[in-house]
Amino acid sequence: MGTVHHHLAGESAFEPMIQIDMEIKAFVSAWKHCDYVSTYMARMVSRNRSDSVRHSNLFSSAFNELLEVAFRTRHADGELACRVSRHGATDRIELTFPCVPEERQFYEQAVSLVAGSEVRERYLNSVSGDLAPSREVVLLELAMDYNATLRVEEADGDAIKLVVDLPLEGLH
Amino acid sequence: MNPYDLLPRFKAQYDANSQEFSISGVVRPQAIDELGPSIALLRDAIGRVRGVLYVNVRRLTQMNNAAFHAFSRIILDACRARPDLKFIVITSSVVGWTSRKFGRLSGIEPNITVEEYDSEFYPGQGFLEEGGFVPILRTQTKMTWRHERAILPRHGMRPGIVMADICCGIGDFAVLVQKEFQPSRIVALDHSRSSLAYARNVAAEFDIKGIEYTYGDASEMLLEENQFDLVTCRHSLQVFNKPELILRELFRICKPGGRVYITNEKNSHCLGEPRADSIQWTYNEVAKLWAHFQMDIELGPKSKRYLTEAGLEDIRVESFMVTNHDGDPQDFADVIAAWENVYAGEMATKRGDTPAFIRRFRQGFQDHIFAALHSKGYAGWPIWVASGRKPL
Repeated sequence: MGTVHHHLAGESAFEPMIQIDMEIKAFVSAWKHCDYVSTYMARMVSRNRSDSVRHSNLFSSAFNELLEVAFRTRHADGELACRVSRHGATDRIELTFPCVPEERQFYEQAVSLVAGSEVRERYLNSVSGDLAPSREVVLLELAMDYNATLRVEEADGDAIKLVVDLPLEGLH
Repeated sequence: MNPYDLLPRFKAQYDANSQEFSISGVVRPQAIDELGPSIALLRDAIGRVRGVLYVNVRRLTQMNNAAFHAFSRIILDACRARPDLKFIVITSSVVGWTSRKFGRLSGIEPNITVEEYDSEFYPGQGFLEEGGFVPILRTQTKMTWRHERAILPRHGMRPGIVMADICCGIGDFAVLVQKEFQPSRIVALDHSRSSLAYARNVAAEFDIKGIEYTYGDASEMLLEENQFDLVTCRHSLQVFNKPELILRELFRICKPGGRVYITNEKNSHCLGEPRADSIQWTYNEVAKLWAHFQMDIELGPKSKRYLTEAGLEDIRVESFMVTNHDGDPQDFADVIAAWENVYAGEMATKRGDTPAFIRRFRQGFQDHIFAALHSKGYAGWPIWVASGRKPL
């Protein structure tokens, strides 16, 4: 399958490209903010990729899913921070957003599942199942369809940071 | 209200004749309820069809997981309820995620297959864009550029603009434009991967920055609407069997007040002296040959009609003649030799032409070359240039 076996590149190797911060209250006030932010940032970071339009489309598609995850946070206060950095063919999204402790636990577990060996089976079971897609499925799909590598990092206060590496430049 | 809210973000349609459900645009609902009418349409389509239902997602630029799951659910349920029914999902090779995402469905239900749409729907282009034609395309651009560099400013070209070159081929026109006019951004699109690879190599080798080469289908582009001051499409409408589909896209991506610029030929008006009659006969036959493959090499003088019918205004049309006197006559001769090679070679053979016809057909090209290289000769290749403004 070749999805989650990339090694994360060293922190220092990633060059920051763009960052958007906003109050989570403002962000969750309108669903279309996910689409706005993902489309805008995708366009900005894709200009110097070998195929800017294709890269932008893929990046927006993946990033929007992450923003939709953040949108559904149950924590009402704090900041949303979206940061994109680059190392070679890989773009790194760091999405920091407030969440309640149960959500943090959920994400940590979900990300560990994405790193597991049954990603494909889990994903297909989810698609063929009757329930609406969970946030876990979103993360599985990033690994499946975009060859993403995911991890969770500590963030200040009641927040979580999802770090997602997207090797879109080499995705065929 | 924000103008964003007024834009239709996606559209679902069902065509009973072709048993095709299509969904296009950006489908990113917060709740599945927002998809109600589209889901109902899909259910209804499934209830009506026999044999195969085509699900066309070629123009689906974005779809979030919530929507994907909702539509997949219906298709998967239908596979179980009606084993007689097959689903063929048509994705686009241009939209990178669709084939991967929808492809998963065939792993769940064997009655679902996923087919990636590609350029094969354009009947004649294969003759012209792959492999050995590249050097001659470069020579052609060099010859036409001598004229177009003076013409372009009359059609909206100026420094600092944002422009798109659609059907950019090997990208040499974009490079010349960038050097001469310094637009702030050029997006150059083509659906030939080999041409784009060539263009990117040239850009890398000569350290050319600021041109974004992108893979795409000119009749269904991922580019957003209203974003370019100038949209160029050179020598390409004549290659497509439905040029109005391309024009609709050129119009869509052009800014209001911006211009769409096209160049095309009327090959039957190629001329030469001496041996004018033989030359004229052959180029009349070229027009018929192209028509056989559903291409219109006579499109040039029809430009005003096409641009007008596309909704453009302030149409400007002019023409110029590339001749053997413009530069090195050997360049002209090389281009004609390449034409002969393709037209009297692969294309005539594929049409099933007789050896006697092909002999006479080739003779006209040879006579054109003779005229081009003759010290007292004249050889011409006319081009029509036209542009129109998108209404504000």
